[in-house]
Amino acid sequence: MSSKEIASAAHIEVNNRDFYDAQDRSQTRGGTLDPRLGAINKRAVCETCQESLQECIGHFGYIRLCLPVFHPGYFKAALNTLQMICKHCSHVMIKPSLRLKYVTKLRNPTLSSKSHIRGSILREVWTQSKKVSLCPYCDRANGTVKKTAVLKIVHYPADNKPPSKKKDEDDEDDVLNDDDEDLFLAADDLNPLKVLQLFEKIPAEDVQLLDMDPEIGRPERMLVQYLPVPPLCIRPTVCADPSAGSTEDDLTVKAAEIVQVNSAIAQLMEKGGTTATVFDAWDQMQYEVARYINSDQPGLPLVQGAAKPLRGICQRLKGKTGRFRGNLSGKRVDFSGRTVISPDPNLRIDQVGVPQRVAKVLTYPERVTKFNIDLLRKMVRNGTEKYPGANHIEYQDGSKKFLKYGDRKKIAKELSFGTIVERHLIDGDIVLFNRQPSLHRISIMAHRVKISPHRTFRFNECVCAPYNADFDGDEMNLHVPQTQEARTEALELMGVVNNIMTPKNGEPLVAATQDFITSSYLSTRKDVFMDRAEFTRVLATMSSAEFSLPLPQPAIQKPMELWTGKQLFTVLIQSAALSAGATKERVSMADKSFTESADAYVCFRGGELMCGQVGKKSLGDGSKKSVLYILARECGNEAAAYAMNRLARFSARWLTDGGFSIGVDDVSPSLALQRIKARLVNDGYEKCQEFIEQLRVGKLAPRPGCSPEETLEAVLNKELSNIRDVAGKACLNEIDVRTNAALTMALAGSKGSTINISQMISCVGQQTVGGGRAPDGFFGRALPHFELGLKARSPVAKGFVSNSFFSGMKATEFFMHAQSGREGLTDTAVKTAETGYMQRRLVKALEDLSVQYDSTVRSSSGSVIQIRYGDDDLDPIEMEDPNDGKPVNFSRLLDAMVKELSDDLLASKLLPSEDEENRGGLAHCIKDVQKFLIKFADKQDELESSFGLRRSQVKEFLRHVQAKVRKATVEPGTAVGAIGAQSIGEPGTQMTLKTFHFAGVASMNITLGVPRLKEIINASTRISTPITTAPLVFDREMTAARIVKGRVQRTLLGEIALYIKEVYRSDDSYLAVRLDKSVIDAFQLDVDIVEVAMRIVSHSFSKIRTSKRGLENMLRLKNKEARKKDMESRPYFLMQALKHQLPNVPVCGIGAVSRAVISESDSVRGSYHLAIESDDIGSVMTVPGVDGVNVTCNHIMAVEKTLGIESARQSILSQIAFTMSSHGLSVADHHLKLLADCMTSSGTVLGITRFGIQKMRTSTLMLASFEMTLDHLFDAAIHSRKDEISGVSERIIMGVPIPLGTGLFRLLRKSTPDDESVAAQKRNILLKESMPTRVNI
Amino acid sequence: MADDDGDGGMQDYRDEVNDMPEGNDGIDAMDEPDFGDEEDPNEEEEKERITTRTLTKYERARILGTRALQLSMGAPPMVEIQPGETDPLVIAKRELQEKKIPITIRRFLPDGSYEDWPLDDLTIPSMGQAP
Repeated sequence: MSSKEIASAAHIEVNNRDFYDAQDRSQTRGGTLDPRLGAINKRAVCETCQESLQECIGHFGYIRLCLPVFHPGYFKAALNTLQMICKHCSHVMIKPSLRLKYVTKLRNPTLSSKSHIRGSILREVWTQSKKVSLCPYCDRANGTVKKTAVLKIVHYPADNKPPSKKKDEDDEDDVLNDDDEDLFLAADDLNPLKVLQLFEKIPAEDVQLLDMDPEIGRPERMLVQYLPVPPLCIRPTVCADPSAGSTEDDLTVKAAEIVQVNSAIAQLMEKGGTTATVFDAWDQMQYEVARYINSDQPGLPLVQGAAKPLRGICQRLKGKTGRFRGNLSGKRVDFSGRTVISPDPNLRIDQVGVPQRVAKVLTYPERVTKFNIDLLRKMVRNGTEKYPGANHIEYQDGSKKFLKYGDRKKIAKELSFGTIVERHLIDGDIVLFNRQPSLHRISIMAHRVKISPHRTFRFNECVCAPYNADFDGDEMNLHVPQTQEARTEALELMGVVNNIMTPKNGEPLVAATQDFITSSYLSTRKDVFMDRAEFTRVLATMSSAEFSLPLPQPAIQKPMELWTGKQLFTVLIQSAALSAGATKERVSMADKSFTESADAYVCFRGGELMCGQVGKKSLGDGSKKSVLYILARECGNEAAAYAMNRLARFSARWLTDGGFSIGVDDVSPSLALQRIKARLVNDGYEKCQEFIEQLRVGKLAPRPGCSPEETLEAVLNKELSNIRDVAGKACLNEIDVRTNAALTMALAGSKGSTINISQMISCVGQQTVGGGRAPDGFFGRALPHFELGLKARSPVAKGFVSNSFFSGMKATEFFMHAQSGREGLTDTAVKTAETGYMQRRLVKALEDLSVQYDSTVRSSSGSVIQIRYGDDDLDPIEMEDPNDGKPVNFSRLLDAMVKELSDDLLASKLLPSEDEENRGGLAHCIKDVQKFLIKFADKQDELESSFGLRRSQVKEFLRHVQAKVRKATVEPGTAVGAIGAQSIGEPGTQMTLKTFHFAGVASMNITLGVPRLKEIINASTRISTPITTAPLVFDREMTAARIVKGRVQRTLLGEIALYIKEVYRSDDSYLAVRLDKSVIDAFQLDVDIVEVAMRIVSHSFSKIRTSKRGLENMLRLKNKEARKKDMESRPYFLMQALKHQLPNVPVCGIGAVSRAVISESDSVRGSYHLAIESDDIGSVMTVPGVDGVNVTCNHIMAVEKTLGIESARQSILSQIAFTMSSHGLSVADHHLKLLADCMTSSGTVLGITRFGIQKMRTSTLMLASFEMTLDHLFDAAIHSRKDEISGVSERIIMGVPIPLGTGLFRLLRKSTPDDESVAAQKRNILLKESMPTRVNI
Repeated sequence: MADDDGDGGMQDYRDEVNDMPEGNDGIDAMDEPDFGDEEDPNEEEEKERITTRTLTKYERARILGTRALQLSMGAPPMVEIQPGETDPLVIAKRELQEKKIPITIRRFLPDGSYEDWPLDDLTIPSMGQAP
């Protein structure tokens, strides 16, 4: 704002440094605590608006500085401006020819939003005009302008040369006074006053050239003349004890100090103080003002005795707890609660148990209608203390009554329709339930309230997975939506039942866990039989008397009726399907169970469990083969929810009946096992000793690219991990599957693995630190307990723990186990911080991408990121195929279809007609369908032709495929950006920080895990392990591969030279190089003496002359300078230098490639490719023998440089997918595509960093709420930027509905076509075309 | 003055908010003359509507929410109420399933143009009822 605006927006001028009057201790008028600036405490009344502290909005004051000072935020911009303008005539010193070009460019209205483009134009103008030493408009000399000290600018008019004669004459022509200084000063101090005068003179057109607004943002506003003093309410006085005085806010104190200095300057100037004193005070004021605005401005003189850093205006905005992130983007809310959580299998999965005492505080405002008046009357009568009560009551006139006091009976009696009662929470109310860290959207879901008498929030364990909650003391939050709209939307979109699947890849996340799986596994054992009484009792445990079902036929009729445990499951699944109003027919699956065991093949047919013990794979989370998943897909999510509710109730009781616990006898090894283990360990140790011995005598054959020591480590690692595996297997064979609880759990998949068991029973195994065996922390060994030398390499000395947890570890073993454990802990600690920040950046970059109604994916500013979401418009949450992300699992569907149709074959279910519209859905995958059907037909042919498909069956099949594909289409409004960001960020947190990984057989490391993900997302130009993979033209032949390897890998002269000799003769001296033919042949290098000669000459030895004389493969090298026979050229030293450098000259291969490894393909045996440690794709591609078209590289920026942006996109996609999959995480490639498209859609690869995001998004508010708040705000202010307020962050900050999801469209009421004008007028303020709001800081 | 602009923008939003209660029980529905008019829609109709024919889940959620709010504030239900049926959300769901909610959806395309879709024209995917 200009000085005038500041003054007129303010109510008073602040010109008194005192806070309080000395006599009566009232606030001083004209002081920083003037009562006209707002109410100072609860009792006071604002003098300006006559309102109390609560009501008064606050009023500004201002300080009129008698001399201008620099604004610390605009200082840099002021400096740049000064460098651009002439220090005499204030024109921007740019050639008149260029001038027009830039002015038109900057005036371009379409550019208005692209701040970074404007920034780059401005930078161009700056570079063009900065160097100009003679102003093209007034022909005056201009020199460099520099910042000398803090907030001081100095101009060296003639580049610090003494003023020339000519310049003097020039100056004499001008009769201006202030030029006198220039005459004698080499350096001209540009103080704020001078700068102000210069800026004021800048013509309007030049202001535009500075990318400023000549109307509202003139450059002179970058200096402070009037300083606004904010209202009292934002710098409150803290007054604990009136007698002891009060504590004032930093801003108050600082403002007072500024007033003091200011008045001191005024006095000095009036009374005529010396120039020096005035300047001193001026400097002082400059510092104070700077500190007032930004207290941690670098270079400001320290204040003596300042204990804590001052909180200036900038500090209030900045950072995590600053205004932007702490108060505008996220706020503290009412109607929320937090407490410890505990499990309760008796609750439905969509319920949450809320303690009564919580329910008495959290309320929901319910309007009185004739339906609820009786209930609400009772609640009002109960008041705040008795449970189903009410806390407040709001009448239609707006008055509110607290129900703790007063005559509640009377109020209840007089309750009328339309009154709002803030009643306590009751069963069935809808609340949002959340656990931090909220990494994905299912970290917050809507539950229905179930009031419980306990003190914790409770919920069904099936819902642990999406929240990532356990019950070791976790706390969770609860929020109560306060309107009918809010709770409906919450239930429809965030309800647990509607969020069983994760949007990450469509796998079910809400599913049976731990005990539920154990008991299911136990109850479906083959030997579980129940008589009628028992069977009905067990069925009753799952039902909670809410449904009835027919008893199935007993599996055994004679001698007595007996039902199997599998039949229990049949009833469970079938009843769930029927309760949801679906048929059971299509609930079919068949798959191997989680682990290999006796009854492992699980098969459901029409909801009936035919065989198999159900385990984690059939019930648990993360499996698209689970019967719960199929239930959800075929019969609706409700059916799956029913099944889980009943399974939870049943499991809890089943396990309580039978009892299930783990004890010492489960982990004590038998004598036989101990003997086997001892033998195994001994054998292993002996083998290791052999390898060590081989190393000692030097017989250990090193692996490609490894030293013998490294080879030993690799060999030993393999051997030792083998010991544990074998020992583990041995113990699994020894223990009894039927009685061992630990093994039962491992087999069911509910908890623990076979490794855990074998660690407990037989052998803990090798401890690793940093990917290798325990490091040598002591002198030449890991611990002082071991002998030096090769004995320190032995398994025990390097952290192999042969004991089990049961038998107990030795001290040294324990130490190394602790080392390994500590590493894990530190990794998690480091990882959480890193992934958290990564997630934040991802979300900020992608948050406002959404699918529009024309099925494009766009950002809030309307730029298209994808024409169709993920290239196929399908929503990854709806993909059914467990393997390759197709929307339909064809074989399962066909399976179900055939069964269904055999039931009613002739039926009416044929495709109605070749309906044009119905056809649409199939287009996506018609090819897949075809392929599948042909394959199916082929298979049938092989078997027996009579088992073909009927025409009607195929038609029905196609109809279903169609319906499924159509259902899987992504819906307009979906916030695909935010979902994508979460889907990539959330798995990042699960990555174990195993950074390294062996690529193929070669000992080539590649970075993986979080660091790699970071590299890709940041679009780093330097990555830690660049690798180019080059397929070969002749990929089957090892020899061909070797030849190509020779062409790619750099070979140095030293490696193939037999000798490099100095030869001195009386008249001549030269270097003789002879190549070793045998080496060249052995490595099949593509090199000869001519080639070598050329390479040497081209390798910066231009002064060398080569000649091929003498022996074969021999080269003579002469230095041209050395030919002169004088001693000045010093031939001997030249020769020595040359000889020193020669061995390092690459004579063959690509210079940058230090290592290439031939590696065998994982999928195809006998197929070879090259893995090259380099990012020089261009060179690799052109090497003969390399299949250039298919060369890939993991360095995204290199790919972009060489192959262009589309390749870069593909590279991002495949690299993230590879990183994820190598950690066993699956993320639908739609999310990756979106990220890749977002990073590449601008034409260059932009990283998801503060710099990249700055180029992707233009909204100042969004950028300010991300990082570098102040820079963005000051920049926006200088250039008078406008913000459309269209993105998510901006709208949250402004408190406006967001144009995603339910905010993308509007609802219209049917009405009669009258008041046309109102409608027309209203159309202007539709959500999409929101008013551009100018942000002015 | 720049500040005024900022306020101006805000004012518009606020206006909208203030308008709502005056309009229809605090619903962000608004009068739409085109709809219900017999001639005008034909003009609209001639331009082929390109957006999906099915009701999206967001539209569903918001319509249900809006309608449930109306019902909770005393709007007359458009379906027969069964005895004991008092939850506005349940009633709203039934109304939606029977396409009885008097609301039109205005879908905005990225270029600022829009399509109006009355509920009758839309296919409503059945979602079943909560357990």
